[in-house]
Amino acid sequence: MSDNIEEIRKSVKKYIIIGVTLIICTGLTVWLSYVELPTHGLNILAGMILATFKAALVALIFMHLNHERSVIYKILIFTVVFALALFLLFYFSNIDPLVFEGFYKHNE
Amino acid sequence: MEIPYTVHPRPDTGLYNAKVGIWLFLASEVMLFGGLFSAYIFLRVGADYPWPVHDLDVTLGFWNTIVLIASSVTVVMAWACLKLRKFGWYRINMAITVLCAAVFMFNKSLEYSAKFKHYAVKLTDGTILTGHMPEDEHGHIIPYTVKFGEVSEINLTLPVKKSAVAADPVHHVLPFIDGAAPKFKTPEGKEITLDAASFAEIRTAEIAKARAAKKDSASLKLTASAPFKLAAKPSQIFGYTPTTITFRDGTVATGKLIDDKLTLLVDGVDARGVAQSEKSLAFDHRYLGEGWQKAFVANRDHHISEFEKKYTDKNGKLTREKSKSATLQKESLFFKLHSSTPPAQGAAHGEKHGAEAHAPAAGHGGGHDYPTVVLEKKDVTFFSNFTPKLNTYYAIYFTLTGLHGAHVVAGALVLLYFLVFNGRMLREDPEHLANRVEVGGLFWHFVDLVWIFLFPLLYLL
Repeated sequence: MSDNIEEIRKSVKKYIIIGVTLIICTGLTVWLSYVELPTHGLNILAGMILATFKAALVALIFMHLNHERSVIYKILIFTVVFALALFLLFYFSNIDPLVFEGFYKHNE
Repeated sequence: MEIPYTVHPRPDTGLYNAKVGIWLFLASEVMLFGGLFSAYIFLRVGADYPWPVHDLDVTLGFWNTIVLIASSVTVVMAWACLKLRKFGWYRINMAITVLCAAVFMFNKSLEYSAKFKHYAVKLTDGTILTGHMPEDEHGHIIPYTVKFGEVSEINLTLPVKKSAVAADPVHHVLPFIDGAAPKFKTPEGKEITLDAASFAEIRTAEIAKARAAKKDSASLKLTASAPFKLAAKPSQIFGYTPTTITFRDGTVATGKLIDDKLTLLVDGVDARGVAQSEKSLAFDHRYLGEGWQKAFVANRDHHISEFEKKYTDKNGKLTREKSKSATLQKESLFFKLHSSTPPAQGAAHGEKHGAEAHAPAAGHGGGHDYPTVVLEKKDVTFFSNFTPKLNTYYAIYFTLTGLHGAHVVAGALVLLYFLVFNGRMLREDPEHLANRVEVGGLFWHFVDLVWIFLFPLLYLL
């Protein structure tokens, strides 16, 4: 948290610039979703990269995570690790008796 | 009790207490939404139908994103103004933030209500028809009902023990009688009207008789003085045959099935699930017929040839597979209807494609006429409006946006509270209020952050 009055005065302009950047990125995301990339997976990837960039701007600038006390980062490290674990859970759905090779090898 | 460290930082953390608190709370919120995003991934990976892309109103979603971003800017500006002791600007920024939340929720309600009024009907061959239910002259939807006529008797079962399936015709039969309720005769010849008091009297007498005869339940047949009509939604009854209708309390009425056909004003034919799309049941002579079939084939072939033109290299080879392009599948096989009669032969339907792709796919009945089809029950496997029960996409759409909407409302209420009820704190201890606004603002930014992911995942990709 910046308690310095002079810094806050400067950051007001920054907030507006970030807001405009976010709006431009939103427009870009919409436009990109109508462009047919070689696979739809690439569309999803591009959209998610843009969304992550926008989310990073919000977190770093609006939520002041670019200059925060260490205790906050310590809390967030755990959150990030567990959230990533949640997003990667679907990978385990590949281990399915119908597609898991070991299932058939066992019968041979 | 005085809460410590509301203004000045605690020496060991270097932060005022509420800030540590809100970040712990936000960490748990990340896990809450993370679990649902994880569910989204599972549902999408496992979906056995083409995942809807651009099916929601993209324009509305885009404006809602702008509104939320603007509110995120104003809430952080409100905090900065408070730190700089510009109280007037603080109030203006806070008010804009709350107003943005209201606009967001208003747009959301438009989107939801359009979905509630839009229907999808799955036919036995895999075709999905989308459209609207017919409306009466006041603009009210005429719901789909199963209609029975010449109903002359109802058979009730009254268990001696208390049971969930004890006959309760007052609540489960009477509401579905079309027109004035007739009088009924008991086997003894007593004439009754089926109101709560007289039915309770008969029930007590019948159960006493059954108990005396050492039976588990009493059966009662009531004969109507004049044949009457019944009309009920399928969800309101237990089941029916051509001659009987069973209500949810187990009561069976005997009569004649008049009508169980489903009337739909068709605005779309989704033939992506049909092996030979031009032979879709939707184009049966009873339904949309040959004219629309020709229009469908013309539109399909137009999009396929456009695709071939676009993705053929110098050697005349296709650089992309037709079957792997979800966009081509949607453009060519999900046919949108824009009038009540098929377009004239040779009319370039394909020119509409740009407008179609951007038009809100759901819900705006006004300004369009659509062909009406009357679907026979044997051709319909499932029908629903665009609600969670339609498919897993709408299930996760309503879950995620509903939970997000609840967060928008909660955040806006907190910020509104600061604006309206913390006037004294603003004058006497602005530093304390600035900390409150920062904490409220952190929550608000988090709500914006969730939407940044929701918008592309649900509307665009």
